[in-house]
Amino acid sequence: MKLLQYLGSRFVAYIAVLFIGVTITFFLPRLMPSDPIEGYIAQMQNQAGQTITPEAMDELRVQLRRLYGLEGSLVEQYINYINKVVLQFDFGPSLYSYPRPVAEFIWTALPWTLGLLGVSIVISWIIGNFIGLLAGFFHNSRFATTLEVVGVVIYPIPYYILALLLILQFAYIWQWFPLSTTIRPGPLTWEKVNAIIYNSFLPAMTLIIAGFGWNILSMKALAFATKEEPYVVFARLKGVKPRRIMTRYVFRNATLPQITALALSIGTIFNGALLTEILFSYPGLGLLMRTAIGSGDFNLMYGTIIVSIVSVATAAFFIDLIYPLIDPRIRLR
Amino acid sequence: MIRLNQLVATYTTVRGTVKAVDGVDLEIPSGNIVGIAGESGCGKTTLLKVIYGDLVYPLALDSGGVDYVFADDDRQEVTTETIQQYWFKRISYIPQSSMSSLNPVVKIRKQFVDFLEPKANKEETLDRVRQFIRQLDLPAEALDSYPHQLSGGMRQRMMVALATFFQPDIILADEPTTALDVVVQKGILLLLVRLQRQMQNTVLFVSHDMGVHYQISHRMLIMYAAKAVEFGESAEVFSAPLHPYTRMLIDSLPNIGDDHMRQGVSGRPPSLWDDLRGCRFAARCPLATQRCRDEEPAFIEHRPNHFAACHYAGDELPKVEPSA
Repeated sequence: MKLLQYLGSRFVAYIAVLFIGVTITFFLPRLMPSDPIEGYIAQMQNQAGQTITPEAMDELRVQLRRLYGLEGSLVEQYINYINKVVLQFDFGPSLYSYPRPVAEFIWTALPWTLGLLGVSIVISWIIGNFIGLLAGFFHNSRFATTLEVVGVVIYPIPYYILALLLILQFAYIWQWFPLSTTIRPGPLTWEKVNAIIYNSFLPAMTLIIAGFGWNILSMKALAFATKEEPYVVFARLKGVKPRRIMTRYVFRNATLPQITALALSIGTIFNGALLTEILFSYPGLGLLMRTAIGSGDFNLMYGTIIVSIVSVATAAFFIDLIYPLIDPRIRLR
Repeated sequence: MIRLNQLVATYTTVRGTVKAVDGVDLEIPSGNIVGIAGESGCGKTTLLKVIYGDLVYPLALDSGGVDYVFADDDRQEVTTETIQQYWFKRISYIPQSSMSSLNPVVKIRKQFVDFLEPKANKEETLDRVRQFIRQLDLPAEALDSYPHQLSGGMRQRMMVALATFFQPDIILADEPTTALDVVVQKGILLLLVRLQRQMQNTVLFVSHDMGVHYQISHRMLIMYAAKAVEFGESAEVFSAPLHPYTRMLIDSLPNIGDDHMRQGVSGRPPSLWDDLRGCRFAARCPLATQRCRDEEPAFIEHRPNHFAACHYAGDELPKVEPSA
């Protein structure tokens, strides 16, 4: 019963987050004083001079409003928008590469971002927590202290500096990895998988290195505190082997807040990915977003923003679903 | 039997070392429940830790030692350095914060056997554990639960089960019932007494509560400021205490039908950091003389099997007018 209640409340929260996110992305641009259509027409007039008649201009205005989904009152627009975006996943055509639909661009870019982020988040979480656990559990050993220093040194470096340093070292000076991502489209062959790994390695490494320092520090603090818990002390007094105390007693308990932290940090990681993709010209959602902003492609911008909201919320929701598996206090009563 | 030989145990702190147990020397006979009483900070828990062999920084054994004589293993010499291999097999421990001493995210079943050798037959052991806990008024399913699914009393019974299942010679219990309400507390105490009677193990039982000691302890050890001040049969300690401190502790207990204001022991124990000379209780003792302040009383047998460290052991306390 408790489990169902928990899952139910998480699902409601998930839907609420999506709804609020989608609503804000709808209203925010519409609250701006500038009207994109008037702006577009003014731009056209500048280029074409006085060759457009007022009638043609009105006709154009109506056409553009329909195209942008700006017809009718705000409420009508909103219902129309929700209907299209949520139910049909239709963000309209890309304005820059008219008439290719925005959804098509997103579907091509999404796997790249999800793959890069998924792999690097998991790896940096595992490495960071493993080192943090060792550093917290064997806090007297020199090995652990060294590891902790690594975390302390890496953590405060701004991501873009770290990434640029790595690019400079590995892609420019040593030339082990390409400076920017170039992968030819085509069927998924073994060769292509190799190319993907070769091209994604450096971007993934920057994300892993940037992420695991924080994991080391927080896991170290948690493991150190958990070590003093009465059940850990009692396990030691029972004569349980230190290794088992570390895994079954300290790790199992210290990992719970770390999983919550992972859910909370996914949003930030997504921002990091935006930078990564720009720095490495990696063909993911972040690069798409930048292209959209750079070329004033409103529909594409909407699309990428909404997809990022959905991805972050979904990832957090999945972590919430995993939580009862590792904490029986949520699963059972 | 456990023999404590001039035991001195110290804690290392930033200010230096402090002797938390200072020269305790006595012989605890087997098959008894020995109650240990005294104020906070008098060294009760430290004494248990030393006997258990849990000597981790900042606690260290300064001098003296513990001789364990296990009933069926006379030849092997066991010291505080080697007792660890017998943890929960021959010597077990019921901790102070037993309410939170079970890992919240692991089933109790696993916590019951995870200190056994890898080659031990755990399934067979668990079957015996299931039968055993039924005697302790615990349902067999309790073993397959997580700690949060059990009540405080059940969790405490589980701790008692864990500490007694392997029939250890010695059980150390450090205020095992402090966190429980009085009714549950009584149940746990009766259980402990019943199991002790069955298994005839030696139980060292620390509690502040003289009432509890009166009910369950066969022998009493009274500690004061890191020293043992009185040790003897419970009945005698309660009826004819030798040390004035013991007498004052007992006098502070209420009797049914007596509505007089109880006389507490005024003052506080001396700081162990001070340069302690003479009897440590002298400052609070109504019998204290110059001799007490200068000369430390030896811990000697005043009556058969009844030890005390007092120059005026057994003397009547002066009558104090109950404060209005």
